[in-house]
Amino acid sequence: MSIMSHNGGSVIAMVGKDCVAIASDLRLGNEAMGISSNFQRIFPVSDRIYLGLPGLATDVATLREKFRFRVNMYTIKEEREIKPETFAHLVSSTLYEHRFGPYFIEPVMAGISKTPTGGVKPFIAATDLIGCLNFAKDFVVAGTASDKLYGVAEGLWEPDLEPEDLFETISQTLLNAVDRDAFSGWGALVHVITKDKVITRTLKGRMD
Amino acid sequence: MASADGGAYSYSLTVFSPSGKLVQIEHALAAVAQGTTSLGIKATNGIVIATEKKSSSILIDDSVIEKVAIICPNIGIVYSGMGPDFRILVTKARKSAQAYWKIYGEYPPTRVLTQEIAGVMQQATQSGGVRPYGVSLLVAGWDNHRGPTLYQVDPSGSFWAWKASAIGKNMINAKTFLEKRYNDDISLEDAIHTALLTLKEGFEGQMTEKTIEIGVVTVPTPEELEQGNIGGETGRPKPAFRKLSEEEVRDYLAL
Amino acid sequence: MPGSMVAMTQPVQQSFNPYTENGGTILAIAGSDFSVIAGDTRQSEGYSIQTRYAPKVFRLTDKAVLAVNGFAADGNMFVKKVKQRLEWYRHAHAKDMPIRAIARLIQTMLYARRFFPYYVYNILGGIEEDGTGAVYSFDPVGSYERETCRAAGAAQSLVQPFLDNQIYFKNQTPAAGTQFPQHLPLTSVLPLVIDSFTSATERHIEVGDGLEIYVVVASGSTSLQGLQNLRGVQEVTGTTDGERVFVIRRELKKD
Repeated sequence: MSIMSHNGGSVIAMVGKDCVAIASDLRLGNEAMGISSNFQRIFPVSDRIYLGLPGLATDVATLREKFRFRVNMYTIKEEREIKPETFAHLVSSTLYEHRFGPYFIEPVMAGISKTPTGGVKPFIAATDLIGCLNFAKDFVVAGTASDKLYGVAEGLWEPDLEPEDLFETISQTLLNAVDRDAFSGWGALVHVITKDKVITRTLKGRMD
Repeated sequence: MASADGGAYSYSLTVFSPSGKLVQIEHALAAVAQGTTSLGIKATNGIVIATEKKSSSILIDDSVIEKVAIICPNIGIVYSGMGPDFRILVTKARKSAQAYWKIYGEYPPTRVLTQEIAGVMQQATQSGGVRPYGVSLLVAGWDNHRGPTLYQVDPSGSFWAWKASAIGKNMINAKTFLEKRYNDDISLEDAIHTALLTLKEGFEGQMTEKTIEIGVVTVPTPEELEQGNIGGETGRPKPAFRKLSEEEVRDYLAL
Repeated sequence: MPGSMVAMTQPVQQSFNPYTENGGTILAIAGSDFSVIAGDTRQSEGYSIQTRYAPKVFRLTDKAVLAVNGFAADGNMFVKKVKQRLEWYRHAHAKDMPIRAIARLIQTMLYARRFFPYYVYNILGGIEEDGTGAVYSFDPVGSYERETCRAAGAAQSLVQPFLDNQIYFKNQTPAAGTQFPQHLPLTSVLPLVIDSFTSATERHIEVGDGLEIYVVVASGSTSLQGLQNLRGVQEVTGTTDGERVFVIRRELKKD
């Protein structure tokens, strides 16, 4: 069995109109056996950036702490909040440090940044386990249900969704994808990040 | 103060004197004070840094001497003091900027790079077997966070941000001159002329495009910023810092 | 040399793999009185495209259409044998075999090769004797089930959860006092089929080039109107006064 699917779990992020959403399932497993239905794998990096860490659970904990450390050091040293674009590069370079003995995580991140003229720019990105960046304009997926997520997202997503419509789209995409994946599911968590607030909702899903 | 032979506290390792002074650092500052004058002025829409470039013999090919150095597209530095020490610092600073780029995908803000150089210089005041760097630096740069900023770094590793400053042989006079000339809404063009006038004050010999060097920071326009990757087909950002060519310097001198 | 002696005396295992995987995706959806069976037309082996037009969907009778996906050689041979059996049935009984019987026949034929299977997934769509739309799906050794919708092949994992959501309304709650329809009208089904394939084409390298959608409509069905003004529709019905079969051809991206 592959290390990437040892604990299961999936994450997806989508772009909307002046907002982004990131969502994941809540399952933690040990191969086919379910262990927890309340496993957090999405973490806030700043109040406008969220990071999803699907993959090996032990590395979820390690990387979460590593990024917390590095972002705190950045914030103190530079006396400013890290931008989503900069954070994406930090994620990429951090993973590439372990090019030949990688963390078994494929991070997904979502955030919104300010443009120089004061506008709002939604941002999403994902990397593979050694940090190859993918800046998509629509959606990014990762985890054991990634192929299913691609299929459903490709069918449901459309440009310029308002926060509530984006929430519905990402929720439906995630729920229906993980229902066809034995390693993902057991409930879900969705964050919708807008200019002035973050909406967080827990979703009920099939528990089988 | 240090005696002519250096005194009892003048070892290769920087050691405190009972009065609390680090005499090696004072010696380093003395080396800076012997160096040619350099200055920097921050304007509303940019920064100018300038320096004298005097060679001891007319036989020296001064076209190859470089005293204003580009560290990364948004930052440039100039020095007064010892040329060889400066070149070591330039190399370290450039490497530091590239290391930063490798991690964050962008070049460092001026303050972060200045801190980095200052750290290197401070280390030389505390390590065994080394002497402090015999240079003071003026670091001029632009970044998203703080806009245009001008820093001075001394051999001790201490640094400050300035609106305008001068270092080297004529620094006292130059600073007095700048204090009289400076105002908060000076434009880059005016700042360049003020820089030339200030240099001219203590200049020995003919001031030509061959005997001075000028670097400028230009603040990008909001449109350029909005586009992000400025610089068209190369995909590289348009550098905020650049050195003026000899032709440009000649034109400024002619005005 | 002892080493070469060992090599000469050691038996060498030869192997031949009679199977390959030719990519592509098929899907079928049953309506109340019609059935839609679709498949892309790309045939590939590894990263090479063998042809951009290799049909995977075949009209068996006026009430049954079979889609085969997997190892193309096995698929074509299997369809040929099924058609032969249906021909014999017509000679013996002077009528077309009902779809329920074709489904059972396919199971028997697949299971007959339990230990050297046809390396194909079959989806059979058509009209039941009671006039309802039917979809039967099979695994390579004949395990089968009647369903409302099914995707199979390279992009099954991409398409099936989308269909769960859009056909079965999985994870959706009907508005108060309403309920979701058991069967969707043809005018809703066709766009879903096309969207499924454009999505699969976008994200899967083995899907693309062309799309063939067969529509089997029960006699006297109102669904016929939905086909009237459709671009690229062609009738392929064999006999008169019964079920009618149409095929709709569309381009898919070729990259």
